[in-house]
Amino acid sequence: MASISLTVNKKKYQIDADPEMPLLWAIRDLIGLKGTKFGCGMAQCGACTVHLDGEAVRSCVTLLGRADGQEIVTIEGISDNTSHPLQKAWIELQVPQCGYCQSGQIMSAAVLLRENPHPTDQDIDEAMMGNLCRCGTYTRIRKAIHRAAEIMNG
Amino acid sequence: MSQNLIVKDSAPRSGLDRRHFLRLSGLSGLGLVLGLGWKSDGHELIASGADAVTVKLNPYIIIESSGTISIMNPMPDMGQGTFQSVPAMIAEELEVSLEQIRILQTGGEKEFGRQTAGGSNSIRGQYQKLRTVGAAGKEMLILAASQRWKVPVTDCYASEGNVYHKPSGKSFTYGDLAEAAAQLPVPQNPQLKDPKDFKILGKNYPRPDVPLKVSGKAVYGIDVELPGMVYASVAHCPVFNSKLISYDDSETMRIKGVTKLIRFQRALGAHKYDAIAVIGDTYWAAYQGKLALKTNWDYEGNDSFDTENYEQTLRDMSGNEGQVVHSDGDFEGSFQSAPVQITALYELPMLSHSPMEPQNCTAQWHGKDRVEVWVSSQGADRVKSEIAKNLDIPSDNIKVNILFSGGGFGRRLYNDYAVEAASIAREMETPVKMIWTREEDTQLGPFRPPTFSAMKAGLAADGKPLAFQHKVISPSMGSTLEDKKDTSGESSSMTEGISTQAYELPNMKNEYVFSQIHIPLAAWRSVTSSTVAFAHECFIDEMAEKAGMDPLEYRLQVLLTKPSDTKRLLLKLKEVSHWEKALPEGWGRGVAQYEFFAGLGGYVVEVSSKDKTSIHIEKVYMVIDLGTVVNPDTVALQVEGAATMALTAATKSAITFRNGQTRQTNFHNYPLVRINEMPEVEVHIIAEGGPKIRGVGEPGLPPFAPALANAIFAATGKRIRKLPFNMNKV
Amino acid sequence: MMNFKKWVGIIVSMTVLIAGGSAFILPLKEKHKILYTVKLSGNEHPDKVPDSIISKKSFLEAYRVLMSPRCMNCHPSGDAPLQGDDSHVHTQGVVRGKDGKGMYALKCSNCHQPKNIPGVGMPPGNPKWQLPPASSRMVFQGRSPRELAAQILNTKENGGRNKAQLVAHVVNDTLVAAGWHPEQGLTLPPLTHKEFARQFKQWLDKGAYLPD
Repeated sequence: MASISLTVNKKKYQIDADPEMPLLWAIRDLIGLKGTKFGCGMAQCGACTVHLDGEAVRSCVTLLGRADGQEIVTIEGISDNTSHPLQKAWIELQVPQCGYCQSGQIMSAAVLLRENPHPTDQDIDEAMMGNLCRCGTYTRIRKAIHRAAEIMNG
Repeated sequence: MSQNLIVKDSAPRSGLDRRHFLRLSGLSGLGLVLGLGWKSDGHELIASGADAVTVKLNPYIIIESSGTISIMNPMPDMGQGTFQSVPAMIAEELEVSLEQIRILQTGGEKEFGRQTAGGSNSIRGQYQKLRTVGAAGKEMLILAASQRWKVPVTDCYASEGNVYHKPSGKSFTYGDLAEAAAQLPVPQNPQLKDPKDFKILGKNYPRPDVPLKVSGKAVYGIDVELPGMVYASVAHCPVFNSKLISYDDSETMRIKGVTKLIRFQRALGAHKYDAIAVIGDTYWAAYQGKLALKTNWDYEGNDSFDTENYEQTLRDMSGNEGQVVHSDGDFEGSFQSAPVQITALYELPMLSHSPMEPQNCTAQWHGKDRVEVWVSSQGADRVKSEIAKNLDIPSDNIKVNILFSGGGFGRRLYNDYAVEAASIAREMETPVKMIWTREEDTQLGPFRPPTFSAMKAGLAADGKPLAFQHKVISPSMGSTLEDKKDTSGESSSMTEGISTQAYELPNMKNEYVFSQIHIPLAAWRSVTSSTVAFAHECFIDEMAEKAGMDPLEYRLQVLLTKPSDTKRLLLKLKEVSHWEKALPEGWGRGVAQYEFFAGLGGYVVEVSSKDKTSIHIEKVYMVIDLGTVVNPDTVALQVEGAATMALTAATKSAITFRNGQTRQTNFHNYPLVRINEMPEVEVHIIAEGGPKIRGVGEPGLPPFAPALANAIFAATGKRIRKLPFNMNKV
Repeated sequence: MMNFKKWVGIIVSMTVLIAGGSAFILPLKEKHKILYTVKLSGNEHPDKVPDSIISKKSFLEAYRVLMSPRCMNCHPSGDAPLQGDDSHVHTQGVVRGKDGKGMYALKCSNCHQPKNIPGVGMPPGNPKWQLPPASSRMVFQGRSPRELAAQILNTKENGGRNKAQLVAHVVNDTLVAAGWHPEQGLTLPPLTHKEFARQFKQWLDKGAYLPD
């Protein structure tokens, strides 16, 4: 057990936990933010994607110790009032089906758009291949990322 | 819109009085309500209101005097859109918008009847019934208003949750009228709206769950949190039917946070599998405890099961005479004398459903014989009956809270994981959340049955069919899941659709050869059609090839001379896919359709191959025949999703066994299609309106893989008769 | 010729205790533990007398390691790393990026942690997990011994490394050493790290001949 300090969605948390516990379970069960999902536990599916110092880490394999003192953003913190261009585009194109993977999809897409405001289809593949969707919303995710880029770029 | 799925009150529902119902449903006040629903026989529409204490009724519509309007949704949402489309059928007729209502999930109460989303049945099974509920409510509210104003009913109309007096412009809210309306007789045959006046049905209406799902606010089963809750991780044996001889928990108990172990049995269908739950303060502690647990199993000989051997058994049985499921004319004689004979064996594998949300359930007991569960499931009624049966308590003592499901695809029709959580929680004072790992979800079944299809056709010299046979060789779902000894009833579900296609095939004799297996098998999206359609539609292509005809024209001109929905569908596909337009060099297109219990759909797939070995999908066209449609955009989503799932099934991993264990464990060795692999799917809906209404969730699946394989044949000359195949190396 | 230090301590990030075929991982603090040493020699030393037969033979030995999945998987012919003993393309379709550290939401360190995570199929770890950068892709996959040897010696392709730096990379680089500490269930390269380093150096010392 160790005392770990995390900043999650701009709020500071001091938690006493096993530093080997994946960040995912700390976010879900200790901090209580459930939007970040458990899908595979081995960085295969991307459902658990959060931003750790701005990067789209897979929280199911990121040990809590690595996040100590770092800045974390989860789906709940990506915008106020569901106003992120990606969220708007996701709603406009009615992307989700079951929705379980979509937090991770949006967190990955956010890094893509930050680094490349005008992504091509290939850029989208290169950013999003780590996020699985069993329902099959891929073609809409692609369209929604293009749409979000449009919204973002005015 | 908010998701009101978690009910605060913890006492299980038994009997029903209105006050109790209000409290359980988390409704805001104890004002009078107009509750409207069906009597338990499903034939009489009744209201609660003042009678609620005596009338056993769970109303679909609850209008509180405060003005809050709630609509009960009996069909769990697993991504197929029922959170919008099912309440929409009531809301449309009640004249309320989806933005002004609250949607509540039913909990398996008998009065709601079937509460299982499966078989593409949620819309087609409820369309008339739920519209009638909404229409009756509206008529009662209008009548209550006209009586209060003392004006003719015909001068009043309802809109957006209000009743208006047309001449004066006066209005009441539904809340103002609920108490009075509840006293009125319930119209049994209310006037339903003319579809041309629909504001919600038939429109691309935004789904109210979408904003929740893009902001992390949607609550899935795995997200439930209760005061004092602990966590469970369960050790199962990956070899089915093994008995637990002993275990050593010394390492487990050393893990900080692990508090206890509970030995119990997983109940799946008629099976009971030994299991041990590790309880911990956090999920991570419980999971670590499970990893540290040393178990000693007696495999009882089940560790010799091997997929390669089993497939050889099915192959060997393909010559056996089976149970005849359809016979018309003289197949044997016509086949023997046919100038052209074709035979082929198609082999379709076992698969896992693999929804993104691993199986989980939270349970809490109250005393010895009452339990409450919070769960992602396809059917609250089935959760109830499975727990009641396996834990031997009255079903009225079980309270079920249905949350959003992170996918279902048939897996969540089987609620073994809910029974597990209830079994574990029975030994606990506190609520317990049990979560499976992805490995357990992949390895423990139930799986889609493997089916082999031995196909035979005799053709005349001009290609006309003279004899046809589709013989399915497979284990069956019922025999494995329910451990049925009498398998004579299994043949129809295992030969789904093969005898009822619109094709005019003379001298057709279809058979079913049953094969024993000890692995639990169950329905997987589009059930047996997900496998047998591949054999059927690829073989039709083989017949077209032998006839020297274009495969679509062969179907249209030779096999479908009479008008039929199938013919109409294929003609539509021909038009939208520009079938007659020449394709670039190295490209090929394929067509397939399938009609089965869930509905009717068809695809044209275009592929390209530079080297006749690696395949790229260029474009996918799909036509689905629905009759009546509730949300076209949801239909498109379901088809896009079914095509994706079919592509994964056709080109990724099968579930295979070695030494009795599932070899695949997680997405690294049971991969799914990723974003770069999924082409655009152009969806066309045939919806002429009227009483005919077909299913949406499943018909998009069966015809995809055969259309793809037929396209690959057109592009490369290579026939694919075994799935899965490698798109980079056909 | 460079003046070599007489001895170079081989530093590895993790010790490996083979127990039941699986790697036992020590915490990061245990790094910089000197496990073994390789004697390096100066110009005048008889070890450095050119000998084409020994040099080529040594490269062919080292080549077996270079082409093993543990090395080749991060030196692919394409821009996506390979995985597993069958060297399949990385399942998440990760691509190199300019600096070799991945792109966008698929940067290496988004999944690969500073150390291995126990469990079959879990992402292997290293603090600087990456592919060679786009400027010096250093492809092993598909290269014949002769092609690979030539490429390794070509400073335009090898990231500007001279022979001493090549040896230092092979001996000291923690990512090279990671090949001998794979994730659970994966095979080790055919030679030990020490033997590989010895053969690699001998190839250079004996004249860096290109195999036929």
